[in-house]
Amino acid sequence: MKDNNKVFWKGVEELGNSPEFVKNAQNEFPEFIPLQKNNSSEDSNGTDRRDFLKLLGFSVAAVSLAACDAPIKKAIPYLNKPEEIEPGIANYYASTYVDGGEYCSVLVKTREGRPIKIEGNKLSSVTKGGTSARAQASVLSLYDTARIQGPLAKGKTITWEALDGQVSGELAKVAAAGSGIRIVSQTILSPTTKKAIADFKAKYPTTEHVQYDSNSAYGILKANYSSFGKAVLPSYDFSKANVIVSFSADFLGTWISPIEFMSQYAATRKLSKSKKTMSAHYQFETNLSLTGSNADYRQPIKPSQEGLFVAELYNRIASNKLATSAIKSEILDKAASDLLANKGKSLVVSGSKDVNVQILINEINKALGNYDNTLSIESPSFQKQGNDEQMNTFVEEVIAGKVKAVIFYGANPVFDHPRGAELSKVLPQLDLSVSFADRVDETAAFVQFVAPDHHYLEAWSDAEPKAGFYSLGQPTIKPIFATRAAQESLLTWAGNSKDYYSYLKSNWTTSILGGSSWDQALQDGVFEPAAKGMAVHSDSTAVVAEPHISLKSSSFDATSVEAAINKTYTSNSSGVELKLYEKIGVGSGSQANNPWLQELPDPISKATWDNYAAVSMKFAKEKSLSQGDAVTVKSGKYEVVLPVLIQPGQAYNTVSIAIGYGRSKSGRCGDNVGKNAYPFSTFVDGSLLDFATGVSITATGDKLPLAQTQTHQTLMARPIIQDTILSEYIKDPSSGRYFPHVSTPDGKVAPSQVDIWKDQHHQPNHLWSMSIDLNSCLGCGACVIACQAENNVPVVGKREVMNSREMHWIRIDRYYSSEAEPKEIGEYFNGDVFKMEEPEENPQVTFQPMMCQHCNHAPCETVCPVAATTHSSEGLNQMTYNRCIGTRYCANNCPYKVRRFNWFKYFDNAEMFDKNVSMNTSLGRMVLNPDVTVRSRGVMEKCSFCVQKIQEGKLKAKKEKRHIMDGEVTTACAAACAAGAILFGDLRDKTGKVFMERNEENLERTYTVLEELNVQPNVTYLTKIRNINKA
Amino acid sequence: MQVTSSVRPPLVTNGKTKKDVTDDICKQVEGKPSTAWKIAFTMALIMLTYGGYCLWTTWYEGIGMWGLNKTIGWSWDITNFVWWVGIGHAGTLISAILLLFRQKWRTSINRAAEAMTIFAVLCAATFIIAHMGRPWVGHWVLPLPNAYGSLWQNFNSALMWDVFAISTYFTVSLVFWYVGLIPDFATIRERATGIRRKIYGALSMNWDGSAKTWSRYEAVSLVLAGVSTPLVLSVHTIVSMDFATSIIPGWHATIFPPYFVAGAIFSGFAMVLTLMLVIRVVFGLEDYITINHIESMNKVIVCTGSIVGIAYITEFFIAWYSGVPYEKYTFINRALGPYWWAYATMMTCNVISPQLFWFKKVRTSILWTFVLSIVVNIGMWFERFVIICTSLHRDFLPSSWAYFSPTLYDVGDYLFTFGFFFTCFLLFAKYFPVINMAEVKAIVDSSSEKKK
Amino acid sequence: MEKGKNLVFGVYDEEAVLLHAVDKIRGKGVKIHEVYTPYPVHGLDDALGYHYSNLPIAGFLFGVTGTITALTMMIYTLGFDWPMDIGGKPHIPLPAFIPITFELTVLFCALGMTGTFFVASNLNPWTQPKLLDPRSVDDKFVLALDLATNKQTSAQLSSILSETGASEVKIKSDN
Repeated sequence: MKDNNKVFWKGVEELGNSPEFVKNAQNEFPEFIPLQKNNSSEDSNGTDRRDFLKLLGFSVAAVSLAACDAPIKKAIPYLNKPEEIEPGIANYYASTYVDGGEYCSVLVKTREGRPIKIEGNKLSSVTKGGTSARAQASVLSLYDTARIQGPLAKGKTITWEALDGQVSGELAKVAAAGSGIRIVSQTILSPTTKKAIADFKAKYPTTEHVQYDSNSAYGILKANYSSFGKAVLPSYDFSKANVIVSFSADFLGTWISPIEFMSQYAATRKLSKSKKTMSAHYQFETNLSLTGSNADYRQPIKPSQEGLFVAELYNRIASNKLATSAIKSEILDKAASDLLANKGKSLVVSGSKDVNVQILINEINKALGNYDNTLSIESPSFQKQGNDEQMNTFVEEVIAGKVKAVIFYGANPVFDHPRGAELSKVLPQLDLSVSFADRVDETAAFVQFVAPDHHYLEAWSDAEPKAGFYSLGQPTIKPIFATRAAQESLLTWAGNSKDYYSYLKSNWTTSILGGSSWDQALQDGVFEPAAKGMAVHSDSTAVVAEPHISLKSSSFDATSVEAAINKTYTSNSSGVELKLYEKIGVGSGSQANNPWLQELPDPISKATWDNYAAVSMKFAKEKSLSQGDAVTVKSGKYEVVLPVLIQPGQAYNTVSIAIGYGRSKSGRCGDNVGKNAYPFSTFVDGSLLDFATGVSITATGDKLPLAQTQTHQTLMARPIIQDTILSEYIKDPSSGRYFPHVSTPDGKVAPSQVDIWKDQHHQPNHLWSMSIDLNSCLGCGACVIACQAENNVPVVGKREVMNSREMHWIRIDRYYSSEAEPKEIGEYFNGDVFKMEEPEENPQVTFQPMMCQHCNHAPCETVCPVAATTHSSEGLNQMTYNRCIGTRYCANNCPYKVRRFNWFKYFDNAEMFDKNVSMNTSLGRMVLNPDVTVRSRGVMEKCSFCVQKIQEGKLKAKKEKRHIMDGEVTTACAAACAAGAILFGDLRDKTGKVFMERNEENLERTYTVLEELNVQPNVTYLTKIRNINKA
Repeated sequence: MQVTSSVRPPLVTNGKTKKDVTDDICKQVEGKPSTAWKIAFTMALIMLTYGGYCLWTTWYEGIGMWGLNKTIGWSWDITNFVWWVGIGHAGTLISAILLLFRQKWRTSINRAAEAMTIFAVLCAATFIIAHMGRPWVGHWVLPLPNAYGSLWQNFNSALMWDVFAISTYFTVSLVFWYVGLIPDFATIRERATGIRRKIYGALSMNWDGSAKTWSRYEAVSLVLAGVSTPLVLSVHTIVSMDFATSIIPGWHATIFPPYFVAGAIFSGFAMVLTLMLVIRVVFGLEDYITINHIESMNKVIVCTGSIVGIAYITEFFIAWYSGVPYEKYTFINRALGPYWWAYATMMTCNVISPQLFWFKKVRTSILWTFVLSIVVNIGMWFERFVIICTSLHRDFLPSSWAYFSPTLYDVGDYLFTFGFFFTCFLLFAKYFPVINMAEVKAIVDSSSEKKK
Repeated sequence: MEKGKNLVFGVYDEEAVLLHAVDKIRGKGVKIHEVYTPYPVHGLDDALGYHYSNLPIAGFLFGVTGTITALTMMIYTLGFDWPMDIGGKPHIPLPAFIPITFELTVLFCALGMTGTFFVASNLNPWTQPKLLDPRSVDDKFVLALDLATNKQTSAQLSSILSETGASEVKIKSDN
């Protein structure tokens, strides 16, 4: 500083250079200094700002790096991506959500390099832009603090190099010794991963790849192998089916490819001026599934009867008959005649794990000529490849010591396989055991090495859910932890130093793309030669290797099937039977640590944070069990204690328990939630059965309270749901509508006619409105999670749900029909009010998405003393959080009860709300949507019609000097819906979908809930129409 | 010179003279606090402290400490608020309306009744603040110039009306009460010495009792009484509008204003009785608060009680007659639903029990009156609970029906107001003249029975 | 008039006696300085010939002020300063303004009038009156005559007082 001694001061303080200044010079925002509450565990904070900033800074850095650093440099954003990340501008990347056989083509919304939201990819002809609750929630799993931050050896951290050295060393030894190496995984959809595994096999010949599914479809694979010589799933097309008969296949919820099936199914249920036909849907099942709740005709059956029902149907359809004990069922009769009347335009499916039942199903579909119409074995689906027998043999081999090295890839058999317990005992004896798990889960806890795989949002991936339908996944953030792609690990150990990105790309260019553009495929996220009728490279199609099938390919052998059916099933079993099923939210349990999914109300029971023993009303009465009574359910050697949930529609003398719960090593949210039901399933004739007979249920005497978001079951004879039946609808489109009137001196008039004010407020430019079709809403709950992710809705945990304080902005009301429903609406003085509260034994079910109705004459606005909630000039009912003083008067005065109050401080409050990870852990906060405020304690909140998205759309249009196009702006719930039940748009757009729906296509069906109040909502509903005959 | 018909029983017994009046009343103020007083005061303080703790926790952690939920946004908080406001009605009513009607029997009870009013309204105010999600911004309900520019209140909201009604009512009652106290303070001043003389001197505002001042004083009291009367009625009318102007079945009822006012007077008089019966024993004022006072108040209670009863029945009739499904259900549910016990309590306490006052034996019996006065207030609490909670817990959409059960903090915050109320009231009873000496003296000649 | 003396006052025991005395004395053309009573004696102000107080008029004016304040405030804030769409109601929903208008009217009236009363009667916490006789706030009635305004001597006035039934008659001196 000789020549230039100019010094610039930040201020006098710096000149004085006082100690305080030096201290504070570091932290730029002193007001950020948080109240020190506890800094116990690394993440339970609200306290350590430092970690938060560190991670924030890190992720931003990660992205800026990512922008100039291979491989992500070559990532092409889906929508017009700015050259580099622009703060405040979201980038969308096409990717692929895969969890075992679960598939969804998605767009990942990233802000400042952080993935914050999953949207459906409309370019995919499999999922068609639909999503599932699980796909939506998967973004939160990326920021799961339970993930391990690097490779582990015997529980201690280790470098990748060291790990590779030891693992390949062991592998070499084992291979040399000629003893078996096994790669155990769930269904693998990725052709390139399959290739990598093949390479690995090439290096270590004793390797065998074992695929199993926690909820397998092995019965179907075997049946198809028997009937067609192909151990694959057919691809189904429900949209072509006029008659759908399902035997305990929950194809809208959890069976094979629900997202795909939902859109197909919904297409057949939609009605309008131009389309007055809809499919007829028959369901025979034990527990009331999402699919069953949407069926026109539903019959509860015991699992032990299922085979006979299928056989009976076969007898009605097929030429030759089986000598199985006959079944008397009007519904079955009707189904049969309907099917026969719709040959080639019908579809019969079954969720049974029993190969013989599935063979019959194949025969029925054959007899009906449905193949190549509504289902096709030629273009198969690979979404379930799990082989129960192979998995069982694997366990045997490990026990027998034939297998010396095991690599678990996306598999957690200790938890989700009935023989998990045995396995856990023998795992430590192996020479080498590796797991690619992202956390030390039940299985990883017993292995020597954990080589954590990326989360799918950090990784390159591909998938082939159906033959010829390919899908690409690209990283949307640089790996948060020192994880490595599983495939890369396999390749490294196989001595291939290539990084997985180039490996994947070369595999695609050589064996998949067939000349088409890689960049295009990457941008679209999907590449579907089959859809375009182009040639499919068969070498990539995954087929379950033959040798593992203990059943020869042959023509239909009626006698053996008949024998098997008669052996397994009986028409009049007296004992209690157990049925295992999967839940929409938690599913197989792989995402159990995701609080969004744990708090997602079950579409049917509306229960959260638990699994339970569902029993029928009749059964509960007989055994004098009441809701929440603790019972011991015992089958074979295994028993669990669970709360009773009285489930209308449950088959009498059966109990249903959801799998996927009762995890012990998933993380703070998933651990010890419910009980593990996997061990109940038994391995019979080469299949894992999902039911058991001779089950005992005994009350323990204590209570296990359930956390349900809806505790009242029936409609109480109110015109909230307005429904009719198809035949009536065809006669009169407005049938089932309820037209309230008000008596005035000048006679009876519509409520809208009675008003003391002349309306002075108009919405000239936009009037944001929503139209919800009760016929297409299948109740799956994807919208609930989508909304939660988009709008930073907190998770409140089981205790608060029990206090009826859940915060979801959109809920799906579920109503059961009741025998006591009077003809007259609201006839309480004549009708038996208390009987009305009881649902039927096997009720009709209706779903109704309910969110803020954005009333133009909103009762909530009038009563707020400080004008914190007012109406916008675009018809939005706006909530000004900063102005709210929390009198809760608005919530009281809301007839729809859609307002949610911040009873506590849900953020930075890990002591009370440790389950609310997205607001109470430094990592979890990354998922928050920066466009939406995190609400403070004591203020009211509610659905805003995703006002932030509306603003974004308006600005975009303004910049481009044009009007907003219809469909350009949509809400999170509407975007997430696979069934397209929710339409959102500008009612001022006379060509817009919403306008057409209301005024053209479905004018007569359109109604507003509680019209008699004349609050003039901007949300309208379309009457529910059932395809049934007059009762 | 006042003339009263001899058939009227004397309002002041045992031939008290003006001098006696002064002495009897002042000795409470001048003497040492009695043991009874001390015990009572300690208990009040204990309640205040425990309640204070609960209230603090509620404010610190959030309204979630209460048992409320997404469906039931108000319960104990607003129930207590309305209950206290209701109690607060007797005071002004007695002094104002009875003054207008020149009911002399008011004179020995109006002072304490007004004091009760003021403290009760303060208790009610506690809940206005406490029930807010963000009490620290409670001042936003006042039309103050603010940092946000043109940010004003929503004068459509019945809660805003409440803010003005309650604050006005409080201020006016306070003024009315204080003006009445000035002459008595002067009396005490003249008997006191030292610091006490200074304090009471200041309180007595340079009062010399000249005829000129007295005539102005009378004019003021008359007009104050004149404006207070409609004010009292307006306050509970407006409180009732919190519910009447909403759309919730069971709240949305045009019958509410009169019905609430009647209820308020009902509970107010009951509370006055409860307190008076204690005071007259503790301070030995049997000659000033005589059985006649008690009887007249009991008459008011049986009358208002019956009005309330009729209101209940009318509600039911209208529910059936209206043909509105939701309205119908709400009332069936009130009587027979999960909260039937609350409804039953309300009916017994408010409609049946006061009818006992038709019997002269009951309405002239101290014990009966005391018990029933408490029963009535229990009943009136349940009335508000029934209206608020049972209407909310099952409204339009069955999907969101829920159940409310109170937590320790609901109870604790209620206790706080009791502690506060009794602390204030005991202080008043000790240091202020509990009976309006001037007014009583004015009637001693005319309506005191002569010494035998 | 005699030096150092300015007030002659009589102490009466009974309200009735006092009222007669007032009549008699005024009948004799003697000007009454002031009467001090422990409670408002009905008919006394007529007897003394005081005209009815103007305070109610003040009260009324204050009330009107309240009405105007309330209406202007609400109409200005909701109707002009920041009009909002609240539940689809008009910007100036007059019926909704009634309650607050009424309350403010009452408030202004009550406070204004009481305030005026305090000022008019010089009621304030910081000055203390010197009572002719402390019992005048207890149970006695004091009737005071001013020597300055009456031509009679103190002796005469005293006798007049005692004639009219004053139990005691005293003379207040300056010192």
